[in-house]
Amino acid sequence: MHSRKNQRDLTRTEKKRLVDAILELKRSGRYDDFVTLHRQYYVTDGESRPRPAHMTPSFFPWHRQYLLEFEKALQSVDPRVSVPYWDWTRDNTAKSSLWAEDFLGGNGRPGDRQVMTGPFAYRRGGWRIRAEVTDDHFLRRNFGRPSAPVTLPGAAEVDRALGDPVYDTAPWNSVSATGFRNRIEGWGIRGGRGIANHNKVHRWIGGSMAGAASPDDPVFWLHHAFIDLLWSRWQKTHPRARYLPARALPADDPQRDRIFPLDRPMPPWDVAPSQLMDHTRLYRYV
Amino acid sequence: MNPTSGPGEEPAGAPRPVRRAVLRAVFTAAVLAGTGGALAPVLLQGQGPGGPGQERDAVGPERFSELYKGREIRGTATTVVPAGAQAHAGTSFAAPAADVSVDGRTLHVMRRADGSYLSTVTHYESFPTLLETARAAVDELGTAQLSAVSPHTI
Ligand SMILES: [Cu+2]
Repeated sequence: MHSRKNQRDLTRTEKKRLVDAILELKRSGRYDDFVTLHRQYYVTDGESRPRPAHMTPSFFPWHRQYLLEFEKALQSVDPRVSVPYWDWTRDNTAKSSLWAEDFLGGNGRPGDRQVMTGPFAYRRGGWRIRAEVTDDHFLRRNFGRPSAPVTLPGAAEVDRALGDPVYDTAPWNSVSATGFRNRIEGWGIRGGRGIANHNKVHRWIGGSMAGAASPDDPVFWLHHAFIDLLWSRWQKTHPRARYLPARALPADDPQRDRIFPLDRPMPPWDVAPSQLMDHTRLYRYV
Repeated sequence: MNPTSGPGEEPAGAPRPVRRAVLRAVFTAAVLAGTGGALAPVLLQGQGPGGPGQERDAVGPERFSELYKGREIRGTATTVVPAGAQAHAGTSFAAPAADVSVDGRTLHVMRRADGSYLSTVTHYESFPTLLETARAAVDELGTAQLSAVSPHTI
């Protein structure tokens, strides 16, 4: 049992330990395996393959397990480390201590968007990303994408999602217009609303985080820890609400084999959403 | 010039029988909803052939070739997908549905259930047309070049 803290409350030492553990995973090659895994399971709802991770009800439990695996890897390097969370409704500018020299480093520079500060700057020698999206091996950020500006989601946007008493709704994908899951995952709905919460944060950071290899940016984990915390808050707000769908969909439903109802094990860990409903015996948020 | 649709500014318009019908529906719905300003760039495109080099006849799939912020973007939809119908038939349109490139390098695109597109560069937002997808990729890329490595071999 360990605690996940708000990143703004970490001590200098805690930040250093976390950064060092991440750099060590990178050095050993294990970090890049996590990047690959995320990409591998990024299946869109335009496809007919099963989609455990995105555009799907199991968005929350899949990422919960993914973070647990990453945290386990970090702790194998340094048992004192856990994944902190970034409350982007509060620390919502480029001036946040999150982006300081002693933590994640700051925005990318104009032009090639290269991150030049902090421990994940390419020139520091410890953070070479694979050239999967662009030809470059440096981490990229593009805060707010000035060419089509966006701001980080505020508390009202989060509250709208937390206020939805239903976990998820048909058609159980990126076009589900109501339900907590897609309000947080945040796909734009034609004629309805724009991107929100989770997706909007990926886009606000931009660069690597906006693309197919988003875990290349270590902020990915802090962002998703907050998403995980929001799930837990939603459960507390609606104690009688349940994960949906609770059972397999009818045979004639095109989503039947593509999504993961409560008891269907999710790849690659063979863990069902039902096994991940309660995190309190594993970690707690402080 | 800022022709990309913003994050949330996906145009209005419900399930789409075919692309051209959708674009028309988009225009109508948005006007009715009075959502005005933010949608304007998309709407202008939706109304007709749109930007330079873009061809879209009444029945044909999307096809364009233009210089955008100094980058050469090209795209061809290789299939016209009635998105809703396909989804219900359980057919995948993950198969190459489009060829898009930036400065000659392939921009890999995927589709959502509503028929909109995302690319490897903008993975968390989608766009109604390949042209907007390509322009958004350029906006996000800055001066960077797309990877020469196919993601399918990684
Ligand atoms: Cu994410």
